[in-house]
Amino acid sequence: MIKEWVDRHIKGDPVIWFIVITLSVLSILVVYSATGTLAYTRMEGDTEHYLIKHSLLVLLSWGAMWLAHKIDYRYYSKLSRLALWLSVPLLFITWKFGMNINEASRWITVPFINQAFQPSDLAKFALIVTLASMLAKRQENIEDIKESLIPMLLWIGLICGLIAMTNLSSAALIFVTCMVIMFIGRVPVKYLALLVLIGVLAGATALAIGQRGGTAVSRIESFLSADDIPFQAEQSYIAIANGGLVRFAPGKSQQKNFLPHPYSDFIFAIIVEEYGMLGGALVLFLYLALLYRGMKIVSTSEKTYGGLLAAGLSFALVMQALVNMAVAVGLVPITGLTLPLVSMGGTSQLFVGVAIGIILSVSRGELEETGTTQSGNQVRNEKMELA
Amino acid sequence: MTNRLTILLRVRIAYVFVLLFSFGILYKIVRIQTVDGGKWKKKAEAIGLQYRNVKATRGNIYSDNESLLATSLPFYKLAIDPSIASDKVFKSGIDSLSRLLSRHFKDLSAQDYKRRINDARIEGRRYLRLNRQKINYLAKKEMNDWPIFREGRMKGGVLYEKVDERFHPFSYLGYRTIGTTDEENRGVVGLEYSFNQYLMGKSGKALYQKFSGGSWKPVFDGTEVKPQNGLDIVSTINVDLQDVAESALVKALYANDADYGCVVVMEVATGEIKAISNLSKNSRGEYWENYNYAVGSQGSREPGSTFKLASMIALFEESRISLLDTVDTGDGEMAFYDQVMKDHKPGGYGKLSVQEVFEKSSNIGTAKLIVDEFGDNPKRYTDLLEKMGLTKPLGFQMVGEGKPYIKTPEDSTWSGVSLPWISHGYELTMTPLHTLTLYNAVANNGKMIQPLIVKQVKTADRVVEEFKSKVINPKICSDITLVKVKEMLEGVVTRGTASNISDSYYQIAGKTGTAKHVVNGRYTSKYYTSFAGYFPAEKPKYSAIVVIDNPKSYRIYGSDVAAPVFKDIADKIYAIDMELNNPFEGKEVMAGIFPVIRAGHQEELKEICNEFGISNHIKGEATWTKASISNNAIAWKPLKYQDTVVPDVRGMTLRDALFILENKHIKVKYSGLGRVTDQSVLPGVRINDDLSIELKLG
Repeated sequence: MIKEWVDRHIKGDPVIWFIVITLSVLSILVVYSATGTLAYTRMEGDTEHYLIKHSLLVLLSWGAMWLAHKIDYRYYSKLSRLALWLSVPLLFITWKFGMNINEASRWITVPFINQAFQPSDLAKFALIVTLASMLAKRQENIEDIKESLIPMLLWIGLICGLIAMTNLSSAALIFVTCMVIMFIGRVPVKYLALLVLIGVLAGATALAIGQRGGTAVSRIESFLSADDIPFQAEQSYIAIANGGLVRFAPGKSQQKNFLPHPYSDFIFAIIVEEYGMLGGALVLFLYLALLYRGMKIVSTSEKTYGGLLAAGLSFALVMQALVNMAVAVGLVPITGLTLPLVSMGGTSQLFVGVAIGIILSVSRGELEETGTTQSGNQVRNEKMELA
Repeated sequence: MTNRLTILLRVRIAYVFVLLFSFGILYKIVRIQTVDGGKWKKKAEAIGLQYRNVKATRGNIYSDNESLLATSLPFYKLAIDPSIASDKVFKSGIDSLSRLLSRHFKDLSAQDYKRRINDARIEGRRYLRLNRQKINYLAKKEMNDWPIFREGRMKGGVLYEKVDERFHPFSYLGYRTIGTTDEENRGVVGLEYSFNQYLMGKSGKALYQKFSGGSWKPVFDGTEVKPQNGLDIVSTINVDLQDVAESALVKALYANDADYGCVVVMEVATGEIKAISNLSKNSRGEYWENYNYAVGSQGSREPGSTFKLASMIALFEESRISLLDTVDTGDGEMAFYDQVMKDHKPGGYGKLSVQEVFEKSSNIGTAKLIVDEFGDNPKRYTDLLEKMGLTKPLGFQMVGEGKPYIKTPEDSTWSGVSLPWISHGYELTMTPLHTLTLYNAVANNGKMIQPLIVKQVKTADRVVEEFKSKVINPKICSDITLVKVKEMLEGVVTRGTASNISDSYYQIAGKTGTAKHVVNGRYTSKYYTSFAGYFPAEKPKYSAIVVIDNPKSYRIYGSDVAAPVFKDIADKIYAIDMELNNPFEGKEVMAGIFPVIRAGHQEELKEICNEFGISNHIKGEATWTKASISNNAIAWKPLKYQDTVVPDVRGMTLRDALFILENKHIKVKYSGLGRVTDQSVLPGVRINDDLSIELKLG
């Protein structure tokens, strides 16, 4: 019975499904533990408040994932272009009039449902999907700067520039992700080198006129000087040191009381503290496995667009995850990036769900195309002719 | 190589990079756990992190017209984390900052400040308290513009730690009733204590890190919980009346060298306490607000003769005895079993009417009346007291109310002398506030209401909770009884023990009380004097009680010690309270057929009216008179003038007014033509040496 239902409704790569569900379960466990302090101080000890809220969001993101994986991924090309246009004014509004949380205005409140939402989540997502589609269309004349490179660069520059006004680390990560996608999409390496230059320039501009320049400089400064370790990093190291090699102590973290944002930015430190290095390594492995499955779609996907889309989204998710973990262990300076699929993060959890859904949709799309290869190829051929 | 293969190759290259990065993460975990593990674990023990409460700002206490009685003002401890500022900011700002600090605090030189901050920065200290002195909000605002400080706490390292201090804008006015707070911002006594749960608010929480020297520096992380500030309470205390009551009491206490004294002024209709003052002598011989005797259990004492009011109410409720019925009080001494009861007057009062028993405060008379009526069934008497609401606590809003103690025949300590002694206020204890509540009930036509001291709980302009005084007993006695006791209470002032305070411009009603102290079960020659009453008697607006304990100069009686204080307070309140001063009555006279005659010399006015054939009659002989209309005739109401207070000259011609006022050595200025319509100093105000008054004619 159940198997029948699953066969009919759950499509796509089962390994990805498995990874997502495993990480989600871990997420609920760790977030429950890590929000204990927050619940005591803000919710008068109602420790279930955040558990329920987070679990609901996990369920919602699964719902978003399921819906997204039911839709043929080719629709996302057009949808993303629309979303990209929409995100430009949204980012601008956020920069100028957004809500201030932790001294950075990254949120705007959606009217009617009264939910804070980060337009940079939408922009990032739309940019990656659009980039995959642009790259796929320009495969034949990828070396033509004017036809291929410039339009892509315009979008990347605009979006990253606007995000950088309020959130430098996110902008940098999106920029690097875009570079990786372009690298995979056969953009010549010499152009990419040029791109790095533009990125650095854009970053410098954002530093000068954005809100977060000072913070970024001080964070990098403190990262480079060995003996002046910032408070968060210090607390994170203590958490990791507490964890040891093997440990199974759900909810027993001590550092969750002192680490700022133990349920989002520093959740990896809590994972290591409660489940040991082995637990941390397992999480790391799950992300690498996710990336591997995403990458595998490139080789199985019939169409370049599908492959690039799946690879781009997987890289975006996994690179963010790795940067988050790297922050917790002190490999890179402190950023405010969450651990996708694990951190408590409101609406951004839904975007992650949709992203995974699209990856699944691509993996699923190939299965369907076995019967309709001809029409599929036809579309592709037409597109190539146009390009 | 096809495009597809190139893409596949490139995606694998990218994957390898990601893989390498992951190894980096794993390597770092291993390193933190093994190589640096000991260091971090040690650090965890030493770092001293703690969630500490962030105090909420305590609510304000307001008077009845919303003047501030107690408020919390923010002050700040000024500190700096000298390691935070960047070299550029620090170097360019330190000189002028040191100069500004030195100029502000005026204790160390600019060089000293610079050295202290510099040294701390070099040592890598994270916290330096710049000065012990706390700064106020204005200074803080100013400092926000100073170099280094203006970069804020994140980039400049400046730390302002807020400390609230309680401030009483009216200084010691009502000090004990308003109450005080401890260092933890909790109320210790008074309203601060009784309403602590409203005033205190809810503390927030923030993570602090301990630094050498025991100081705590906030870490400023995201888990900070904002404190919820306390609510405000609006009391019924009137600042003007409180001031009047307090100054009158303190004067009397010094004059009588008493142990302690208290005054409560209550609004008759609402039960709102308008003034409450308790002063007791401290070791240096000064009087301070130290204990709330009016309310608290230490103030629950044998009331003495003021309790005769309750006895009389019980008597009138039970029998048809008239005020004119007589009782023989004998030679001033009378034995009840083994105890001898005495009256104040040596040789005794002889035969007295019931009214005189009360007005002259005869103990024997009262005891005989009560024993005659209730001797067979004393339970009936105590039941009536209970019905009046005298046996149970008032349920007052302030914590620690003294409970009344009135024994009943069921008690093991009840004896044959209990009834006569209780009847004149012994063998029972009550707080002054409770006695006042009884007098207020009489003034309020028999409706006994709970005294009220806090009427609202507010936050900003929103009322959170409203308190209304509860009715203890809607009718403590019949209307006939009320008429009788009211007449006697007025008689006490006009003819009786308190006739020394009868010279007011308005009528006071009340009762004196003088109780002997009981020490080890024996009555001593120390006295507890009191006066409870209300005014103006015809239409009572305020009731009040004055208690003065153990006066040590030659005066010992309630009439000599407490009653003058009552009058002093009543006079001043009468002068302040505009509502008590009726609009000029003469105005009605103008309407209709009557000529413009309002007030003046009685003989002359009478003659004029007779000449014109206007029916008029005199209500009481007096030199000066005021017109009022009754049944198409003019009634001349006497104007009683006393030497010590400003007379009412409204309605008089200028000639008459000048004659009266200048005879009292009051300087007069006037403007306009006609009769006096307004006088700048109201009637009833006490005359002092160089009083001047302005009259408006019209």
